[in-house]
Amino acid sequence: MATPTAPKLGDLERDVMDRLWGAAEPRSVRDVHAELSAERELAYTTIMTVLDRLTRKQLVSRTREGRAYLYSAVNSRAELTAEMMHDALSVDGLDRTAALVHFADRVTPEEAAALARALERVQHHDEGQPGS
Amino acid sequence: MTPLLLGLIGLLLAGPVPAVLGRSRWLLPTPRAGVVLWQSLALAAVLAIIGAGFATTVWMISNGQTGPFMVAAHVVVIGLTSIVVVRLAWASAQVALDTRARRRRHRDLVDVLGDRDGTEPGLRILAHDTPMAYCLPALGKNRVVVSAGALSCLAGPELEAVLAHEQAHVRARHDLVLEAFSALHTAFPRGVRSKEPLLQAQLMVEMLADDAARSRAGAGPLARALVALAGQSTPAGALGVAAGSVALRLERLAAPVHERRVRSAAAYMLAVAVLVLPTVFLAVPWMIDAWALLS
Repeated sequence: MATPTAPKLGDLERDVMDRLWGAAEPRSVRDVHAELSAERELAYTTIMTVLDRLTRKQLVSRTREGRAYLYSAVNSRAELTAEMMHDALSVDGLDRTAALVHFADRVTPEEAAALARALERVQHHDEGQPGS
Repeated sequence: MTPLLLGLIGLLLAGPVPAVLGRSRWLLPTPRAGVVLWQSLALAAVLAIIGAGFATTVWMISNGQTGPFMVAAHVVVIGLTSIVVVRLAWASAQVALDTRARRRRHRDLVDVLGDRDGTEPGLRILAHDTPMAYCLPALGKNRVVVSAGALSCLAGPELEAVLAHEQAHVRARHDLVLEAFSALHTAFPRGVRSKEPLLQAQLMVEMLADDAARSRAGAGPLARALVALAGQSTPAGALGVAAGSVALRLERLAAPVHERRVRSAAAYMLAVAVLVLPTVFLAVPWMIDAWALLS
């Protein structure tokens, strides 16, 4: 279990992305660090590591500005959300790879009605059993 | 005759046998044995076709003078073997790389877009109204993703059933089973292959995860969760098969749990027989003959 005092890099990635999405212009490590460390204690090098990881994940791009690097989000939050939803909802049976294993595939309205009827049968049976 | 017989067995195991077995409901009560039987059928098909290729090559070398029909038949067998072997190697690599790349990107997105609720380390909640739940399996980096829409339409025990289901997938690495069947499906040429092994493997794996969820949260909550999440229609997609699979899963939940020892033992025996019998009756005698011929 992670202790709340030591946020993992993964948690920080999200916070750093939020800052970059909220910023009008590219930010330096110093900018991001200043903003985030107002809320909690964070090492400068930690922010540098997080930005580096995000760059490798192609979520963030960096440009050189004088002696420092400036970081900005490659895509807006809306663009990434659209990409993610498209990927999550493109359920195409055989062509679907095992990348995402869905709980239940989607159905047409008629099929949904049939499923609801089948559910009644399950519940009918289930009432006879003590709950676990 | 051996090469042609092996080739024929390979083709039967790749096409008609899965088609018949896929239509029967015989394996539905025993998904674990079912997955094993499907794996063994797939492996046997590949082995038979590879065996046929070897046998044909030896036959071509040792038999100089035979009718054109026999020669043509053997050329077809060798061709099929080469196609399957090359495609299988290619498809395995392709599917593995594609799957991992897609999953990695999706995980990166989920990590920066989703919320953690703090209870489960790999659980991410997406602020989206479409009810959905899925998992991204990976060694040490599993994610179970649930949308806000799903949370709002699932009661406590139903959510527990969904999470238990996804965690069963993740723990048992069901994705690796599916990956192998995807590769196999991609490897066999159109016309020879059957979509049944992959579809059936998908269904069996879901049923295995359902069993885990049922024992933790009960059949009723799991069934309600299934209907709640599947009952949302989407604009796109050919989904007849998928609907069928949810219906079959529901039907299974309506029946009381009892072990089908005899049936699963039969399925396991069949799985072994499918692998062993062609080897013993065809491959071994042929190897002995070939050895005698060539030495």
